[in-house]
Amino acid sequence: MEYTRLDDEALIGFVQQNQEAALSVLYDRYGRLVYSMAFNALQDQALAEEITQDVFLRVWNKAETFRAEQGKVVTWITSIARYRAIDVIRRRNVRPEGNRATWVDDPGFELPDALNVEAEVEASDSSRQIRRAMAQLPDEQRLVLAYAYFQGYTHSQIANALGEPLGTIKTRIRLAMQKLRQLLQEVDHL
Amino acid sequence: MSREAHVFNLLSAYALDCLDAVEKAQVEAHLRECDLCRADLQTYREIVQVLPLVGRESEPPPGLKSKIMQRAAQARNAPATQNQPIWWEHLAAYFRKGAPAWGLVGLVLILMLGANNLLLWQRMNQLESKAQLPFSTIVLTGTETSPDASGVLVLSQDGEHGTLIVDGLAVLDSASQYQLWLIQDGQRTNGGVFSVGKDGYGSHWVSSPQPLASYSSFGVTIEPTGGSPGPTGAKVLGSES
Repeated sequence: MEYTRLDDEALIGFVQQNQEAALSVLYDRYGRLVYSMAFNALQDQALAEEITQDVFLRVWNKAETFRAEQGKVVTWITSIARYRAIDVIRRRNVRPEGNRATWVDDPGFELPDALNVEAEVEASDSSRQIRRAMAQLPDEQRLVLAYAYFQGYTHSQIANALGEPLGTIKTRIRLAMQKLRQLLQEVDHL
Repeated sequence: MSREAHVFNLLSAYALDCLDAVEKAQVEAHLRECDLCRADLQTYREIVQVLPLVGRESEPPPGLKSKIMQRAAQARNAPATQNQPIWWEHLAAYFRKGAPAWGLVGLVLILMLGANNLLLWQRMNQLESKAQLPFSTIVLTGTETSPDASGVLVLSQDGEHGTLIVDGLAVLDSASQYQLWLIQDGQRTNGGVFSVGKDGYGSHWVSSPQPLASYSSFGVTIEPTGGSPGPTGAKVLGSES
């Protein structure tokens, strides 16, 4: 069986059957993404590594809970990663530093070669579009988005962390998301 | 409905899960009634789903994959069953947490002792050892919108199913019911709808597509009668994850 040619849902099916090779391919596709999310959230290599292990072990142990009708495999995996990282931040009272470096600056991004061709084209398009849109946001909007998305901070927590008025933070979040939606709709992404 | 009554300005933050509790409850209450805002919310949710692709990339350590594969192999070879705390430890933990409703505990005990009650007791009779007891419990606590509410989810020993017992919940009008959500990795699965009596007490037999023990947390929201595909109303009870 050449697992690298299978799509993500098929791989999850083989993971359910305890095929380690399928998990290996999923890691090759999304290990870097998951590790990057965890590192962006915590700014700590050891914790990022721990979370990445937890995420893929969750995929391994709980593959049967994946529901294709609720979303793509990558959405499922990144959702696990996001909430696992936020959980670590909350439980361990971690105060990550360095949010300014969380979003990429270069919209000309290429995905790893390991993805199958069809998925690579689709994911590359999505990546480029969202990255181009994010690159057009003002720095202060990118920053509050990073706090909200990666660290799971609420409006009030972001306002406290940045020493800014609550209303200012709410406005930045709203304008950032509206702008992203507008830019993505212009390229017919949504 | 006037545009002023909608919650458009809060939907993007709701999709990001960064609203503070009061506004979150406000949005959820509105979403329960408004197709327009639910549709608008979906467009923001799609953006949130692709945000991971915009994060700055970091290179994982070279040995990370082998550690994961090694742990996966160990997990595969590990025994399927795990040692679980015995039932009185769960109850003791519940008491130590300052359970708000002693009456609720009594009702739990009554439920457990009921001779006709559920498959839990049938399974207990099948136990080979008296040291193996037939259930475990998960405590649910009230939220800011229902601070006096409390609940206990009693799971069968195998974690396959259980019964939710609640107390201190408001009586809803005929257009609304409480709905249980089974939560894992941010995904919420319908755990069924139920109502409470005039005394705020109610019980609900819970069945789910997966063993209940496989879910990381549980929540209860107010939904239109018959339930919703996803939570839209105010959250009234939640378990620790």
